[in-house]
Order: sequence, then structure tokens, then C-alpha cells
Amino acid sequence: MDAILPVLLFVAIAAAVSVGLLVTANLIGPRRSGAVKEMPYESGMDPVHDTRRRFDVRFHLVAITFLVFDVELLFLYPWAVASRSAAGIDAAVADGLVSCRGIVYAGAMLFIALVIVGFAYDWRKGVFRWR
Amino acid sequence: MNALTPFLPTIAALVKIGLLVGGLMTAAAYLVLVERWMAAWVQDRKGPNRVGIPLTKIRLFGLGQPMADGLKIIMKEDFTPRHVDKVLYTVAPLVILAASLAIFAAIPFGSVLPPLGIPGLPDPVPFLVAPGLDVGVLWVFALSSIAVYGVLLGGWASNNKYGFLGGLRSSAQLVAYEIPLGLGLLGVVLAAGSLKLDAIMNAQAESGIWYAFAQPLGFLVFFVASFAEAARLPFDLPEAEQELVGGYHTEYSGIKLLLFLVAEFLHMVTAAFLIVIMFLGGWHLWGVTGSGQEVTWLGALVRFGVLSAKIFGVILFFMLVRWSWPRFRFDQLMNLAWKVMLPLGIANLVTVATIEEFRPQLVAALGAGPAAAIALAAPWAVFFLGWIAAGMLTPSGTDNTPIRTHTMLDAERSLRGQDLVEV
Repeated sequence: MDAILPVLLFVAIAAAVSVGLLVTANLIGPRRSGAVKEMPYESGMDPVHDTRRRFDVRFHLVAITFLVFDVELLFLYPWAVASRSAAGIDAAVADGLVSCRGIVYAGAMLFIALVIVGFAYDWRKGVFRWR
Repeated sequence: MNALTPFLPTIAALVKIGLLVGGLMTAAAYLVLVERWMAAWVQDRKGPNRVGIPLTKIRLFGLGQPMADGLKIIMKEDFTPRHVDKVLYTVAPLVILAASLAIFAAIPFGSVLPPLGIPGLPDPVPFLVAPGLDVGVLWVFALSSIAVYGVLLGGWASNNKYGFLGGLRSSAQLVAYEIPLGLGLLGVVLAAGSLKLDAIMNAQAESGIWYAFAQPLGFLVFFVASFAEAARLPFDLPEAEQELVGGYHTEYSGIKLLLFLVAEFLHMVTAAFLIVIMFLGGWHLWGVTGSGQEVTWLGALVRFGVLSAKIFGVILFFMLVRWSWPRFRFDQLMNLAWKVMLPLGIANLVTVATIEEFRPQLVAALGAGPAAAIALAAPWAVFFLGWIAAGMLTPSGTDNTPIRTHTMLDAERSLRGQDLVEV
């Protein structure tokens, strides 16, 4: 709790500052409205058709690929931290939880190799082709 | 011991938060002025130099400009158009600003103060809001991802075509460059063996070798990715003025626009902090700051000064790049992220992991000196090899020829009216 409390305080203060600015401006600022002012901005032309239209499927592909790679990255963080820290892999080897360092290293490299295979597949399928 | 003692850590945290939030908001305002001066210098004109003390003729080199701008924008109408999704439209700027401020809970802004000897306070007092948080890098990474929500919410809620396209592009860009960013971070985390940013700085100070020298490829990847994450030129496609007006904040005005702009500047400041802390040694400078945890008051001040100077230097570099480079095209941007930065990031990670894994064997076989030399030389070899490979395997940036899906034959058919199939 001692470690988290300053973080929570910071988040609360950051939110308060943002909301405070918004409220202040709301109290001070003038209010005028008009039909033209309410229109969506389209470079001075009258707006044509709805905004909610179909868009390029490649944005979905990027989102999905991102999800896969980002989660794989997060899986690598524990290994990266444990690799050389005092209570990490060396301690586990000393306690007999892992037979030797090499097996952890080989496992991590195998994981990265699998990621690369997936990456190569995506590339060949044209997921990253944008024109 | 007195009644205040149990609350001392909280009070200390509040003081630091106050200093940071005040400092950051002021810095964001004055960095706008610095950026305008920089633009003026690059374009050989004068820039803002008139606003000084009000009601007098004292100009003060335009130092009053940020305050005048801020006051003016707060006095303006906080206008919400009728066609927007009101809740999301209001929440978007709040989310993005709050997140970009709260990142600094885990970012150190100096080394440590000398022991104060106050009971109830940890000694020495670190320049860090949450010293107990041992997932600092993950906190920074998570909160910088929240920026994507702000951008996407703003773009979607605006119900405006420019805003929508800007939001889409922007989120695709932020999402694509987060992976190289994470890979760059991972190399440093592996070498330092900690997720705490102050521990990463200490590790660099102790060895005297900044990670920019030990992992040049990681530095390059992280540097480019943080430009893209901060949406600075040459990566400012989210709000490419000539194509998308204002991008995701086209429909925003008044104070909400200010919140977006401040958040954007804070992203640049955060990027500069991270580059300096993770790769450029933080507060460490050879022969000036020392490297231990015991400092005098002067030493603490010097370290704070060194860190600030480095950060300011990186920010000036960001600004200089903005006024010297043209913008990428979207397909070039995506190519760079997926086909260049991601493989280079993985190459860096594998190199660093292998060196760190076999360092003890190397030291045992060759002795400390040659082992250290190999551990430094290998990443540089990978750096140049990767650079050359990336240059040879990907099309050059000057290749602007369009890929024709519409041939001359198609054109002739459509002229004769034979090809009226709806596309």
C-alpha cells in the first residue's frame, strides 16, 4: 500500500487538474451559438452524408497484429527482469527449481523464434503492405 | 516523534507531485515559446518577441507570451457542437491529459537528496514520486498506451470526417510504434535487471557505460519509436494539417483543445525523459557527478542540473527535427514500423540477451578486459549489419511510383462505358 499510495495520489491530482481547467473555462467563457457554428467542419462546404462509414480493413489487421505482438512482448518482461537480478534465475537455479541457466535462455530464444515465424507469415500474407 | 510522523511519506509525496505538476504545466507552456523561437530561427525571422509586462512598454523578449496565450484560451468559449457524442467528446481530452501527467509518478527527475535525518522519512530522499513502485517501466508503458484511447475517443466522438480519419491513422500509428518501443525498453530492462527507472540510471552510473553505447541498435529503435509515439514530425501524420486539418482534434476548440495540445507536449517531454534515463545515463556524467548513492547538497544539485540539461538538449533536438524534415507518407510510416523497426528491435534484444547470458563464461575464458571489449563491439557490429540489411531489404524512401491497379486497358473500357461495375 505504501508503494501504491503516491501513485494513486498522483492520478487523482492529475485528473483534478484536468477537470479543474475544464470547469474554470466553462465558468469564465462566453456562450454563443448559431446554426452555422453547430455544423460539422468540412472545409467550409455543406457536410455530405454520415461520418460513420466503412473504413479500410487494414486498420483491423494492424490492431490484431499489434495485440499478438504486444502480449508476446509482455510475456518476455518477467524473463528480462529475472535474467540478471539477485532474486532471479540464478536464485532459482541455486534452489533447484531450474536445472541450469541455459535451459531458460534456450526457452526464451525458442519463444522469440516462434514470434519471428509468426511475423514472417504475416509479412508473406501481406498484412504490412500499405499501398 | 510527533503526531505528523506517520503522514510524513504522504506529505513528501504530495510536495513532489505539486512540484512536478506545476513544473510540467509551466514547462509545457514555455516549451511552446521555445519551439516558436526555434521555428523563427530556422526560418530566419524574429518569432514572438513582443509580449512582456502588461500596461508597460517592457518587452522581456516575449516571455509573457505563454501566459497571454493561456489566459486567452481559458477566457474563450468552451463550445460543444451539437453533432458530437457529448460524453466521449468531453472525456477524451481529460483522459489524455490526466494519463500524460500521471506517467510521471514513476519517472525520476534527479538522483537523491542527502540524508535529512527526519524520523519517519526514508533516507536518502529520492527524486521520485513513487520510489516503492517496482514496475516503473510497465507503468510508463501502460499509461502511454492510454494516449491511444484519448485520440480514438476524440476522433470518434467528434462525428467529423477529418476527426475520424485522423483518429484512425493516429491510433494505427501509435499502436504500430509501441512494439519497437517495447522492444527497445526490453533490452535495457534485461541489461539492468530491474523495472525501476532509478535503478536503470544507477546501473549506468556504476558501469560508466551508457546504454546508448552498449546497445546502439536499441537506442536507434527506441529513439525513432518515441518520435512516432510523441507524434512529432516526421511522424505527425495524425494531424497532417494539409490533408486532415487538425486530425482527431479538428472539432475541438477552447480549453479542450488546450488540454489536447498540452498532453501532446507532455508526450514529447516524457519521451525526452525516457531517452535520457534509459539510454543517455540519466544524471550521470563522467568525472562530474560521481556514481555512488552518497551525495552532498551540491552533488544532488549538480545531478539534477545534468539530467535537466540532457533532457532540454533532447527536446531541442526534437524541435530542430520538426523544422527540418518533411512528413512521411502513411505507407512509408507503416513500412518503417513493421518491416524495419520490429526486426531491428528483435535483433537488438537477441544480441543483448546472448551477451548478458554468456558474459560470465567470456570473462572466465578471456579475462575482464577483452570480455568487456567483445561485449561492446558485438552490439556495434549488429548495429551496422542491421542498418545495411534494412537498407538493402526494404525499398528506398524515395520510391514514390504508385502501384497501378488501374491499367490503360481499364481506362479505355471505362471510356467506352463497358466497365460500369461499381467499385
